[in-house]
Amino acid sequence: MYIIIIGSGRLGRMLSEELTDAGHNVSVVDRDSKRLEALGTGFNGLSVKGIEYDNAVLKEAGIKHADYVLSVTSDDNLNITVSLAAKEIFKVPRVIARVNEPQKKSVYELLGIEMINPTELISYIIKGKVEGSQR
Amino acid sequence: MKSIIIGGGKVGSNLLKTLKERGYNVTLVEMDEETCRRIAEDISAVVICGDGTDIDVLKDAGINEADIIAAVTGKDEENLVICQIAKKGFNIGKSIARINNPKNISLFKALGVDQTVCSTEVIADLIEYEFDRDICKIVQTFDRGAMILVEVAVNENNRWLDMFIKDIVLPSECVVASILRDGKVIFPRGDTQICRNDSMHIITNRSTFPEIKKLLHDGGAYAKKKK
Repeated sequence: MYIIIIGSGRLGRMLSEELTDAGHNVSVVDRDSKRLEALGTGFNGLSVKGIEYDNAVLKEAGIKHADYVLSVTSDDNLNITVSLAAKEIFKVPRVIARVNEPQKKSVYELLGIEMINPTELISYIIKGKVEGSQR
Repeated sequence: MKSIIIGGGKVGSNLLKTLKERGYNVTLVEMDEETCRRIAEDISAVVICGDGTDIDVLKDAGINEADIIAAVTGKDEENLVICQIAKKGFNIGKSIARINNPKNISLFKALGVDQTVCSTEVIADLIEYEFDRDICKIVQTFDRGAMILVEVAVNENNRWLDMFIKDIVLPSECVVASILRDGKVIFPRGDTQICRNDSMHIITNRSTFPEIKKLLHDGGAYAKKKK
């Protein structure tokens, strides 16, 4: 599968490692070259530096034949903009975005963007642990 | 008419002032507390401190009753998200987005933002206009530059002087619509000759305009050669 990861932060880097190890083709996009360098020499995929929703940058990252775009930066507006471009302009089959501010969930819902809400997930897990230990 | 401005920078605060002076019902949304305080001291308007891409904040600002929303923050992705919320969530008749980087214009257009203003492009155009003022200028822009009306002044530096319309080599996407001579309108045909002090009107589009300018100017080489 060809997967584009937007954002080379902690989550983006971990994802790229996991997905590359699982045998997928991965390219990573970030506007900050330092964050891209942090991918390390072990990363053998494509890394593209540039404004994440820019047409030329997305094309360089191979969006035309991408199966997935995963927008996981720490900026909700950036994730939404990239997701809309990927979905509505490039017709990428599957687009998933990361929610940072839990109250922004409604914006992703309104615009029909599939999302993962880490804060919500982690609090469920922690709550589960707390309640589990009570039994 | 109820309008909401998002972004309280130089563009937003000046826009607020102008609209207030014209008697509009305006609310401004700005994220930075200090900036909000400064604007509220200066202008008597409703200023809301909050994130303009948060639906609850927009509701507080009265988005349900708003007719116009202007997203003028310094970040293009923020302005795009605001316009998308206004359009898809609240069916706002008119949303206007400021674009900071001209490269993003096509993205905004493709995602259906009704109106965009690119400050960088406007300023570059104005400066360019000052350069070209003596010979040709854009009089009117239609549909964001898909069609423009250009006025060409015919003076001694104009290489079309004394030529017939049929002899002018023009790019394909442009047409000479009219010539203004001594206050009279001439509808040009092939045998119309271009005279000194004529004012020609040409209809073209933004992408062809530079070609026409190049034809007229040649970096000033033509005028120099003649001398």
